Amino acid sequence: MKRAFLVAAREFMENIRTKGFWIGIMMLPLMLVMIATVPLLVEGTREAKRFTVIDRSGWLLPRVMNEVSTNAARFEYVDPASIDPGDLNALVSAGDLFAYFIIGPDPVKSSDGSRYVSNNLTDRDLVTWLGGLVNQEVRRERLRQENLDVAIAEWLSEPITFVGVQISKEGTEEQVRTKDVVRQWTPVVFVYLLWISILINTQMLLTNTIEEKSNKLIEVLLSSISPIALMAGKIMGIAGTGLAVIGAWALMAFGFFVVLPGLLDISLPFDVSSVISDPWFLTSFLVYFILGYLLYAALLVGLGSICNNLKEAQNLMLPIQLVQMIPIFVMIPIGKDPGGTLAQVLSYVPPLTPFVMMNRAAAPPTTMEYVTTTILLLVSIAAALWFAAKIFRIGILLTGKPPGLMEVLRWLRAPVSNNV
Amino acid sequence: MQYSLTLEDVSKSFGTNIAVNHISAAIPEGHIYGFLGPNGAGKTTTIRMIMSILYPDAGRITVLGGSPERAKDRLGYLPEEKGLYKKMKTAELVSYFGRLKGMKRQVSKDRAKQLLTQFGLGHCIDVRCDALSKGMGQKVQIISTLMHDPELVILDEPFSGLDPINVETVRTVILDLKRAGRTVIFSTHVMEQAEQICDSILLINQGHKVLDGTIEQVKKEGHQTIRLDYEGRPSAMAALPGIVRVNDMGKRAELSLAPDADARAILKRLVSEMNIRTFSINEPSLHEIFVRTVGESPE
Repeated sequence: MKRAFLVAAREFMENIRTKGFWIGIMMLPLMLVMIATVPLLVEGTREAKRFTVIDRSGWLLPRVMNEVSTNAARFEYVDPASIDPGDLNALVSAGDLFAYFIIGPDPVKSSDGSRYVSNNLTDRDLVTWLGGLVNQEVRRERLRQENLDVAIAEWLSEPITFVGVQISKEGTEEQVRTKDVVRQWTPVVFVYLLWISILINTQMLLTNTIEEKSNKLIEVLLSSISPIALMAGKIMGIAGTGLAVIGAWALMAFGFFVVLPGLLDISLPFDVSSVISDPWFLTSFLVYFILGYLLYAALLVGLGSICNNLKEAQNLMLPIQLVQMIPIFVMIPIGKDPGGTLAQVLSYVPPLTPFVMMNRAAAPPTTMEYVTTTILLLVSIAAALWFAAKIFRIGILLTGKPPGLMEVLRWLRAPVSNNV
Repeated sequence: MQYSLTLEDVSKSFGTNIAVNHISAAIPEGHIYGFLGPNGAGKTTTIRMIMSILYPDAGRITVLGGSPERAKDRLGYLPEEKGLYKKMKTAELVSYFGRLKGMKRQVSKDRAKQLLTQFGLGHCIDVRCDALSKGMGQKVQIISTLMHDPELVILDEPFSGLDPINVETVRTVILDLKRAGRTVIFSTHVMEQAEQICDSILLINQGHKVLDGTIEQVKKEGHQTIRLDYEGRPSAMAALPGIVRVNDMGKRAELSLAPDADARAILKRLVSEMNIRTFSINEPSLHEIFVRTVGESPE
């Protein structure tokens, strides 16, 4: 076993010297910084949309003029008097005007003659904003003409709002706060990070195993250590790399959400304190990373050992990749209904257990579910590692065409030597 | 006599293909021992079983007085297919292989530097393996094999693909190991190399042992040969009575004689029919023995 650690240490040292490792570490902070700054930057660099309004009613525009002129940073009103009406379409085509509105002669009676002309029909900000203002005035005018009380009319159209309330662990009612919503959806973020960590690391293991084969070093290594120790060393070394990345992520997330706001004396628009203060999420993440990684590592290291190059491996990878995609498809449905039938059933499918159970962490599954799914997962990992070891020790020395399924099944039946 | 390695009735099959078929041999301590045979004869499979990379289906292998697994750390192995971790520094790599053989960290570091310097690679200690020339890489592989000062060194086709300078380096290494009292086994299908440096050989063909023994014993059992350098048409040679086989290399030929053949009479006939520059009557070369016995051995 000591030599397996030597192999692991070498793998680890080699991996942390690669660019991929540092890109992996920087991925999370980059994502955080981008989420925090890009919308602000986009907002900051956005130019005000120039528009004009041809008011054929003669009374509507002056009533909303006050609002129109105060929102010039987003929407810049251009006086129609300065434009020849015949040039309007040309100005829109040339991009000098984002859009122009025509208000019909009698908006109180009908929409007849009202138009919105723009070449950008996907950006609805302007039409929603001005449309809202105009509609409000038209509604008031209609109420006035019918001699109805404006206050009564507004009360008539007032919607009912349901206040979000949840039941705490102690059984008392609590109003839902932002941090509760954050907490509810945090597992989804964790599932995504878990998924990407396991995917990257097992892929690294696969590539590494195939490279080792093409490096022609396997025989020298096997003359010093057993194939099982070599396989164990590889799996541990790359697990170490993955854990180093996750550790770095956790530190950076702590710095970003806790230390940095404190230093700058700012409060974040969303409260993550319930996540940071709850070790349950981080512990679950760590445990499910290790278990999920081990299961997929066993599958991929066995597969890698029988392939001579990545292309061969990619063909054989397809079934595993299909299974690996499922957690992403069910991430949102399970997030919405963490205790539902879908979530419960998928928790018992070992290749999905780590992701689904992580997904359900906000409304924690029962202890019984944790125990049974974990036992099932551990048994699957042990079986997968056992099969992988049997395939690895023969496959790793093999060159030429990858063996067929029947051939591999025969290897599984062959006894493993006592030299483990 | 002490034996470094004994094979007793060892067999190994892959599916229906019998790679090694009931082979027995004993390799004396301190000998340079050649595993000879054509490609696919079972040499590499035999070596892999000695290294406990593969396990025999039947028979027994004793290495340095015990099981192959227990002897692993006392063996040095240079496979035919060999490579380096390209991103590792030379000294780091050599030291890593030493540690895999059970050496302590500092000891392996020191010895890596010492061996690299001894092999003229002192300037490459901190150089990454992918920056080494092919010849340097081959030296690094040999150093990795010898790091832990193994008692038995096994080299699988150590000369294949080497340029003459590196052939010389490997030959020197093998002879130095012998002088230091180590046992060396190497496999080859180039008979001249084996003949030059081996004390004993084992000849395998299609998984079967064809013959084994010291070079002298093996040669004594073969037929006498006439070796000659000639010019002109070689057709006269094969037709002469008393000649069993002709190994014609174009300008040089080795004629294998029948046990009762009169070498002088044959030479006389040859001189009268061909333009012969030099000739000698010899023991058979390993090449001749190889070609003859492999030709005669059961298919």
